[in-house]
Amino acid sequence: MSELERELFEKQLLTIAKGLDYPRTPDIAAAVMTRLRPSTRPRFISRRLAWSLTIILIFFSSLMLIPPARAAIIEFIQIGIVRIFPRPIEPPIDTISTATPQSIIPMTATASFPSATLIPSLSRIAGETTFADAQQKVNYSILLPTYPPDLGQPDYVFVQNAEGEMTILVWLDPRQPDQVLMSLHFIPLGSWAIDKAEPKVIEETNVNGQRAIWATGPYPLRLYNGDLDFTRLIDGHVLIWAEGDITYRLETNLSLEEALKIAESLQPVP
Amino acid sequence: MDEPTLIRHAANGDASAWEPLVLAHQQAVFRLAYLLLGDPDDAEDIAQETFLRAWNHLKRFDQTRPLRPWLLSITANLSRNRRRSAGRYLAALTRAFRDEPAPASVEEKSAQYMEANDLWKAVQNLSEPDQQVVYLRYFMDLSVAETADVLQVAEGTVKSRLSRALEKLRAIITKYRINNQLEV
Repeated sequence: MSELERELFEKQLLTIAKGLDYPRTPDIAAAVMTRLRPSTRPRFISRRLAWSLTIILIFFSSLMLIPPARAAIIEFIQIGIVRIFPRPIEPPIDTISTATPQSIIPMTATASFPSATLIPSLSRIAGETTFADAQQKVNYSILLPTYPPDLGQPDYVFVQNAEGEMTILVWLDPRQPDQVLMSLHFIPLGSWAIDKAEPKVIEETNVNGQRAIWATGPYPLRLYNGDLDFTRLIDGHVLIWAEGDITYRLETNLSLEEALKIAESLQPVP
Repeated sequence: MDEPTLIRHAANGDASAWEPLVLAHQQAVFRLAYLLLGDPDDAEDIAQETFLRAWNHLKRFDQTRPLRPWLLSITANLSRNRRRSAGRYLAALTRAFRDEPAPASVEEKSAQYMEANDLWKAVQNLSEPDQQVVYLRYFMDLSVAETADVLQVAEGTVKSRLSRALEKLRAIITKYRINNQLEV
């Protein structure tokens, strides 16, 4: 197509496209404002729903009277979409029996860090991309740590669709390039739920004033949605916190103090 | 109040400042979602989600930039995720073709509408990145710079994507013209 033909074609496209008959734009503003201010509107609860809620309340109240059940209900900690069970939970029968840690390690970037075969594992992970491309793919800002100052860009970047584009950044240890220094997950709201069962050590802390959890492995990590469910073994230490719609998960063998410095140094890329 | 002032207030948590901004941009956001998804209900969902997500991330928004490209960028990303989920896009396309007006009502539509509708169908044959760039540039009437801003790519990239998309589009339209008299 010559330059002239192209210009003519473009002009025709612009003219024609303007004639498209769109559906009437709904009152998005009203719906958005209602969702932003849910408490300003009286909520209608049907009689049926009210009964259902009552029954659920009674059911859970009665469970509270049974000590083991009370422990199972109360004793988990929720940070963003991640739930941490400090006590043993009943493992999902089909996941523990069918998915060994080895078979599922390639599903995410956070393989057991001390493993000498980590780099081949990383190359098998789905969704490898570049940082710039990842930022185009996801609808949230991928923040980068500014601490330690010489950290630089991640060595590996992955974007995986888990009912929401989850981003994983991986930095290798410059002194031992076959080892991972740390990995950082950005898990948007609506992604697969994650349960961490029975970590060895759990410590509450905070990141930028937000509640955070520091968990030490090894422990099984269970990821699931309506269709899929798998479990893998985590060896590293993990710092988990949430801000807005994003749950952050920093996995590293560094100390808690260093992990907090890294977490609090996250900044948008200029 | 001008847009930057409203954005500043909204970023500080003032929801009443967000409402006029939603009103100002809701049509563009809804229309882009509709173009990308082909279904008004899905488009409405995505439009609402766009403004809620933008509200939640306003503190990180560079307030020296215009709001619309950022909103459209969120819309495009959310629509892409929606399209990929569980064959919704296919279902919407099937509905669009099934609900095509009967010949009697076609006569009532203007020739321009028919051409635009045929053009839209032709664009749906392009790849996802090509569709995005065509919708933004020709249907949403954004400049090359604005399109680049929405897609977060360089202007040169937009130009090359447009050029490639136009070639493909012309080939599709030429094929269509045989049966549908599309006057392009």
